Amino acid sequence: MIAICRHDFQRFFRSPLGYVYLGVFAVIANLVYFAYCVLSSSSDLSSPFSFLLTVLLFMTPILTMRLLSEEYRQGTDRLLLTAPVRIWEIVLGKFFAALGAIVCCLLITVPWLIILICAGTPAWPTIIGCYIAILCASMVFLAIGLFLSSVTESQLIAAVLSFAVFLGLYLVDALSAAASGTLASILSWFSIFTRYDTFMSAQFSFSNVVYFLSLTVLFLFFTARVLERRRQ
Amino acid sequence: MIQVSHLTKRFGGIQAVSDLSFSVAEGEIVGFLGPNGAGKSTTMNIITGCLEATDGTVTVGGLDSRSHPEEVRRLIGYLPEQPPLYPDQTVEEYLDFVYRLKKCTLNKREHLGSIASSTGITDVTGRLIRNLSKGYRQRVGLAQALIGDPKVLILDEPTVGLDPKQIIEIRDLIRDLGKTHTVILSSHILPEVQEVCGRVIVIHQGVMAADGTTEELSRRMTGSVQLEMMIEGDRNRVLCVLRAVPGVAEVSVLTADDTKSTYRITAEPDADIRHAVFESLSQNSLAILSMKQVEASLEDIFLKLTDADTPAQTETDEIPEESESEKSKHRRLFRKRGERK
Repeated sequence: MIAICRHDFQRFFRSPLGYVYLGVFAVIANLVYFAYCVLSSSSDLSSPFSFLLTVLLFMTPILTMRLLSEEYRQGTDRLLLTAPVRIWEIVLGKFFAALGAIVCCLLITVPWLIILICAGTPAWPTIIGCYIAILCASMVFLAIGLFLSSVTESQLIAAVLSFAVFLGLYLVDALSAAASGTLASILSWFSIFTRYDTFMSAQFSFSNVVYFLSLTVLFLFFTARVLERRRQ
Repeated sequence: MIQVSHLTKRFGGIQAVSDLSFSVAEGEIVGFLGPNGAGKSTTMNIITGCLEATDGTVTVGGLDSRSHPEEVRRLIGYLPEQPPLYPDQTVEEYLDFVYRLKKCTLNKREHLGSIASSTGITDVTGRLIRNLSKGYRQRVGLAQALIGDPKVLILDEPTVGLDPKQIIEIRDLIRDLGKTHTVILSSHILPEVQEVCGRVIVIHQGVMAADGTTEELSRRMTGSVQLEMMIEGDRNRVLCVLRAVPGVAEVSVLTADDTKSTYRITAEPDADIRHAVFESLSQNSLAILSMKQVEASLEDIFLKLTDADTPAQTETDEIPEESESEKSKHRRLFRKRGERK
């Protein structure tokens, strides 16, 4: 598992993609920070972070699209499937490699904290909540993206499907705001964004963590099943 | 070393392999021979654990591949038809990854170094795989299969797409590896199998058509001796004389010429007609320019075996010219070994 994780993480930075990715993320994130926090002299990190979620929504498919589709296309999935590793090692290895890339992106926000500590009074519960929230949400996005990458040989299809699903999730959020009664409560229960906002407001909820984790595990499980199916 | 019994594989409604059984002893080099789509790759994929069989069992080194998948995979080095390479890695990085992936515990520097030198890729270890020629990629693929020192090597069409010089090099390498490993290689190129393998398994439409050493197979197929002769003289007269020789079953003209023609003479089973043919020709003052005894080449065996099983050979019907020229090309390649003077 570590070999696969290491390999995929390094591959991300072997191509220009990794640096372009980090660069674009850095520019957008810092612009957002500048707009929301620096210009308005606010120490509230939750507004840039909720914007970052939207950025991730668009950027995770680019990260996950190649994870398995490219292996299929190059025929390198044979190498993985005939190596003495279990299916879940392949899936987890790929998942953690992508998560590592996201963590690298989030490291860009560390200077924000330093600025906050120097120039203001950081609200630690909110900040920790923000980081947990963005990690949880990106885990779900990555797992869904990885799953969609496992069902197709084309990276493009994987990316388009991921965008479609994420936009769908976004719509669920909008629908739950528009709907009323039971439907609204069901929809908002499913909504990733509602739960994300709960974290943002520094309300740590165990059930929300469980929700995000189980969604992640569910999609990783699906991915493993797809890989197993390919053996049959 | 490898025991395959009643292996069956269905893809949806298509039966790719049906009830295939064979075993391979330690140290053997076995060739899988068959036309494209015969089920060679499928069988190999099942042995390596890349695919699961619909029915039947595979044991490698005494371990069942279903109950001990990881142990079995550790025993096998696999080179698929398309070498599983990452183009954006250097050869060194790639081999390092495979070393880790296979959870290898041998001394890394020594192990990878010896593999690189035996496959002849020491010079290119620092280069990107994307920039390597096809021959080198194939070698890197082979090097990948050798990592972890597996006892069994499974090579799916290892020489496909290489130039003649590279083919000879890879073949020599495989023959070398065969001294220390059990090797299964597949091919639809007959000379290759005949050159490298001690034993041949012919697969056709997912069914085993033949299994034996190359000599056994050719003995089995040629129940009767065939002679190929170049004789000077009028063709009709020669044909008359030859057909009158006792023990001759059939005479056909291979190449016709005004003064000299080449004939293929098939004897009746278990008859040696060389003396009789010589005597009657010399009595009739017909000069023998050359005389060769023809053994069925692996190609003949192959075509005979696969033809017998398929009454409607659509593929060859569609492109008769090409297959004809293919045949003669192979025959030429076979001359060296398949014929005795």
